[in-house]
Amino acid sequence: MPRRSSLPVTFVVPTLVILLILSMVPTLYAIIIALQNRELSSTAYSWVWFSNFFDLFSDRRFLNAVWVSVKWEVVTVVATMVVAIGLGVLMFEVASQRLRNVYCLLFIIPVLLPRVSAAFVWKFAYHPLYGIATYPYRLLTGGLIFDPLSKPSTALFAVASVDVWQWGLFFAVIVLKLLETLPPQPIEAARLDHAKRWQIHAYVTLPMLKAPLVSLMFVKMIESLRSFDLIYVMTRGGPGVATETLDMYAFSQGFIESGKVSYASAMAVLMMIATVITFTMLWKRVQA
Amino acid sequence: MKPGRIIAKAVLAFAGFLAVFPLLWTALNSLKNSVDIITRVPRLVFTPTLANISYILGRDSVITGLYNSVVACGSAVLIGVVLGLPAAYAVARYPNRWAGDIQFFVLSLRFLPPVAVAIPLMVIWLQIGLYDTLPALIVTYSLLTISVIMWLAIPAFQGVPKEVEEAAFVDGYGAYSVFWRIALPVAARSLIGAVAFSFVLVWNEFLIALMLSSSNAKTLPIVASELSQQGMNVPWGILNASVVLLSLPPLLFLGVLSGFLNSVFRQKKN
Repeated sequence: MPRRSSLPVTFVVPTLVILLILSMVPTLYAIIIALQNRELSSTAYSWVWFSNFFDLFSDRRFLNAVWVSVKWEVVTVVATMVVAIGLGVLMFEVASQRLRNVYCLLFIIPVLLPRVSAAFVWKFAYHPLYGIATYPYRLLTGGLIFDPLSKPSTALFAVASVDVWQWGLFFAVIVLKLLETLPPQPIEAARLDHAKRWQIHAYVTLPMLKAPLVSLMFVKMIESLRSFDLIYVMTRGGPGVATETLDMYAFSQGFIESGKVSYASAMAVLMMIATVITFTMLWKRVQA
Repeated sequence: MKPGRIIAKAVLAFAGFLAVFPLLWTALNSLKNSVDIITRVPRLVFTPTLANISYILGRDSVITGLYNSVVACGSAVLIGVVLGLPAAYAVARYPNRWAGDIQFFVLSLRFLPPVAVAIPLMVIWLQIGLYDTLPALIVTYSLLTISVIMWLAIPAFQGVPKEVEEAAFVDGYGAYSVFWRIALPVAARSLIGAVAFSFVLVWNEFLIALMLSSSNAKTLPIVASELSQQGMNVPWGILNASVVLLSLPPLLFLGVLSGFLNSVFRQKKN
């Protein structure tokens, strides 16, 4: 590489300046709006400083949304990793090379779908009377009705199942590719020691893949923050507030119910602070 | 064969079935009349109709949504390529002490909750009179495409053998022509995967488009979701047809993206 070239500067600086402007302007503006009392219906506003934030902590619906978001994050991340590792190991163990290629192609399809499409596909499938996914239940019980999306106890899991359908299958492909990159010797050695198949994976291969699997989980944690499309299409936060995550609540406060843009922005700012701090710390640990 | 292996194969086959069946069923429903969809027992045999699909393609809102999606996503991806690829190359090939920080900054843009970006942007675009226009959407999406393309292109450029580029320098190529004539063509396959990925990402984007458009700049996902807002009164066949239309473009990239995935891991193995 030539030492003195203008290339790094001309290639990096414009892009970084544009990225900084595009990201910092909305971020700072979100904070400014959160300290005011703007509403959608009027252009007048004044500075109220931190009162939006104080209001949030006595807002029971907000606290519910925090709880739902945490549940969503835990359920989707854990279920995705379990499905991914389970299917990945199964493919590695019993599928021939040709079959692996077929499965890999099939398992990538759901994640490519727009979330709006995935949400619709499953909203139809979960329909209590005409849905294809509830059909086996109707068949077995002689026509009893099961409506997963409108029961508070099952709605969150029904929506989460769509998220896992998209990401769990996709990550299974990645887990398989990771297993394929491992050197065969440790597996052979364990086999010579009469280790069972599942023991080989539990004690040899998966620990060897710890770092990439943790990174994978990190990616899923970030992507799980984007639950809005699924919930918006499938339940709108309902029944009641059973699936109302933070972004859903911020959206409905800001745009559907009351038009309190500043209040919604205060929520968004809290989310932003929480995620940036959490993920920066996690990232530094993953890298270390 | 041991029973364990049989069960394992059955589980896999079921997962494969689960991956595609719901989508195939939706595609099938888009060819049905309402009488064949609204049945307690799912119907596999029916007289197909193209009425739903022709209805969808004949609606102005759908055609406008399609146009908006293509223009907004196409432009944003183009901007992402023009700004993201050179920057990624510079970070990959001319690392300095900020290289790690730059990579982290680009990744951290993904941590920002979409609502936190969409609310202030809506206010900003309203104030400068660009709310509900394609330029506003394109600029906003560029943040996504530039950062994703950069993030994925850095390892792609690092995968180009250094010797090839050094040989070109010895032959008297300048830094810029090495980028144009050597690095870009050699890394092309991985780069196309990165670009396709960024396209799928913005094509599927929903929340920002929902908040930044009210009538003129609606993208296809918004139009499709609005069809359903009219409740279950809208014929299901039409809804299913719109879901199929919305899902087709990303699926066109299936081959490219699975090839990309393979090349990423082949690189890792070597």
